[in-house]
Amino acid sequence: MNEMPGITQNDSSSPDAYRHLIERLPVTLRPALNQQLTQWGMLFPFEQHTVGKFLKGVESFSPSALDALTAPLWALEKKMGVNHWNFSQASDTIENASQLARSEYYAEWRREVQRVFESVNAAARDAAPLQTESKRLILLFLPGNLPVNPQSVWKQWDPSGREIKISGNSGKFCELVTQGQPGLSGIATLAARKGTVDRSDIWFIDAEGRLSSLLSSLSHNAAASLSYTALKPFRDKFLAELNKAPKDIQATDEVISNLRLESWNGWDLWPPELANQPKLRKFVIDLFLSGNGAVIFSNSFVEWAAAEALRRARPRIVVARFGMRSKPKPFTSIAIFENQQRVSSLPDVDDPENSAIDALILARYVWLAASRYPERQQTFCLCVAEHGNSAYVIPPPGKTLSLSPEHPLGPEELYHWLGTQFLS
Amino acid sequence: MDASRRSLLKAAAILLVDQWALSRTQASGLKPSSAAAKDERKVIVVACGGIRRAETFLDTGLGNIPHLYRELLPQSVFYPFIRNNGATSHYNTISSILTGNWQRLDDWGKTPPADPTFFEYLRKRMALSQDDAWVISSNKALTSRIGASSIRDFGPSYGANVIFPKQLLINAVIRAASQGHAEHSADRAAMQQELEAILQHADNYEGLGWSVSGEESFLDLRIERSMQQAIEDLVRTNAPVTGDEFTFLVSAEVMRRFAPSLMAITFSDVEVAHFGSYSMHVAGIRTMDRLVYELWNLVQSLPSYTGRTTLFVLPEFGRDFDGSNTNGFFNHRSIDDSTNLTWMMCLGEAARSPDVIQRPVQHIDLCPTIAGLFGIKGLDLPGKPLPGLSA
Repeated sequence: MNEMPGITQNDSSSPDAYRHLIERLPVTLRPALNQQLTQWGMLFPFEQHTVGKFLKGVESFSPSALDALTAPLWALEKKMGVNHWNFSQASDTIENASQLARSEYYAEWRREVQRVFESVNAAARDAAPLQTESKRLILLFLPGNLPVNPQSVWKQWDPSGREIKISGNSGKFCELVTQGQPGLSGIATLAARKGTVDRSDIWFIDAEGRLSSLLSSLSHNAAASLSYTALKPFRDKFLAELNKAPKDIQATDEVISNLRLESWNGWDLWPPELANQPKLRKFVIDLFLSGNGAVIFSNSFVEWAAAEALRRARPRIVVARFGMRSKPKPFTSIAIFENQQRVSSLPDVDDPENSAIDALILARYVWLAASRYPERQQTFCLCVAEHGNSAYVIPPPGKTLSLSPEHPLGPEELYHWLGTQFLS
Repeated sequence: MDASRRSLLKAAAILLVDQWALSRTQASGLKPSSAAAKDERKVIVVACGGIRRAETFLDTGLGNIPHLYRELLPQSVFYPFIRNNGATSHYNTISSILTGNWQRLDDWGKTPPADPTFFEYLRKRMALSQDDAWVISSNKALTSRIGASSIRDFGPSYGANVIFPKQLLINAVIRAASQGHAEHSADRAAMQQELEAILQHADNYEGLGWSVSGEESFLDLRIERSMQQAIEDLVRTNAPVTGDEFTFLVSAEVMRRFAPSLMAITFSDVEVAHFGSYSMHVAGIRTMDRLVYELWNLVQSLPSYTGRTTLFVLPEFGRDFDGSNTNGFFNHRSIDDSTNLTWMMCLGEAARSPDVIQRPVQHIDLCPTIAGLFGIKGLDLPGKPLPGLSA
């Protein structure tokens, strides 16, 4: 294997040095990599590290070794007829995904791609090991106005966890996490003490505006903070533009591409916490373009933003707070992809029971998303159901919880315990 | 659903079918089919979007399907394992069911199925009219091209009528919004104007995506006004309305008036899952459960259908498993049993001996099975006739 100095030394170096490596790869591997290089300055440090590591792995193969590794994928692409497709190599598109997914060789193709990625990453692993040993926290909040069923609230959760009861006002715990308590700083400050250097290392994601209202300006500056409520002006404008896409894959790809390239700076649409945060703005745009209801429902936004933050940034801390959604409005609910406030003048009416159902499964999905990565080995998860003064704690594998389920903890005790776990 | 709102939806459905029948009569000079005069075998296929077994026929989901589980399962031939080995998108899956071949087409319905549909086989072999073949769909992912293939010896001349009742309602809402009339969606009289604008203009009528009456696209004014009145009443009610409810009611009217030999109905309320509301997704499953039960009761009550009808009910596919990297129930993209494996129920004439068939079957087995029920032989299809059914 061969090492090319200059590329391997600095993961955030100019992406142009990488482009020739992508040309050595099978066609279907190129769009995602090219797209990431094009947007290099908008990538989070972890993404830059991952792309750099992968391409370092590619360059470590001699031409004949790389040919041997990728020969089955090249052959498969030929059988699939990729060269005859309208297949973008510049970026991922809906049409690319659609053509791949409807191929009779799709499953085989996925297996081959997985095999190539694993081999390349294995080749790079020794030279650029991933730092995963630091403690991680996933903190999830189901607000007090969501009436979860105390009998079944944790039934679907990871059996390695445990329910604990919170005495007193469990809603206070959220304040402590954001603001700290005497002798123990808020979570963002604790993270900074542990060596966090990039704001993508800690995320506050909120269906409403509770977290933002509690965070100090210092914490805001040190973290990635997103609020569905605060994004409303941007969401409304974005959704209106998105709904202009016709029912045609190519035309929709064009609309999406334009929306991705649009600067979105001219209409005063962004909340103050995203001022001078181009990476976070880009994250939000990508999030809304990737669907999954993030632009439609606040709880979907929270879940999908958290899942994407975990995938793209591998943060040490994710704090996600779910919220209330409105009842579908009569008649207009059939056009749920539309802005309901725009299409109906009827006032919004809260839907607490169904919001609780949605939030509970989506909170679990955040945990499941976090569980997919190697950092799971160091991750604590705590989900607080404020309505029932109940919380569910999942420790890292092999860790024993020192908490007793028989003895309720006050919010201060619980935060103290959490801080201890994180700092230890 | 409250009775008044349901009756209004029903009125809208009746009027919708009325206007179609009248316009068809005017266009062709033909009399509409006489439902009572028909005595041939009938088949109805209900495809109901992406639904996981976990939310239906596993222990965790039985509470969502009380009618299917308690009322219909004991009298059915039930297939607990039906596999979708094709592309798990709506247009491709419905096309695969209709053609008996796995279709790999543009997901958004830009091209027609690449193999003849069972509508075409049936109409050509049995010399049936277009009134005898219908696709009635809630699903926005389908297009009117779903009703006939691109095969030269078959094609639209032997295809089905295709209508999307929900699209009429959606267009009215979007039109009101696009013109800055948010108050219209909450106001009966104002909503009437929006519907009038859609129904009175041929361009907008075609914009609904329907394919009926060959090339005709006009609406009868008298019926049009009656339909507007019904929908206008619907708008006034202060409760959610679902696309599947309207699709069911239109389907019921088509059955009453035309008694088609072969009808495919697709429900899609469950697809709200793509937006991440699990509670709405489950509500969609419950609606589907109720509507299938009502459809079966309707079959028993209509002379044209009772005793000669076979009803197939199946999800198009499942949905992705919790914890998948495709975001779980939101989507149907993963390649595993949660997405590819689902169930099917067969009721009625061909299911005279209730049974549970454990042997796995496939979505493409429906087409040869249906062909067999109509006595059509000699088709070269990859699927196999379903086991456990009576000829």
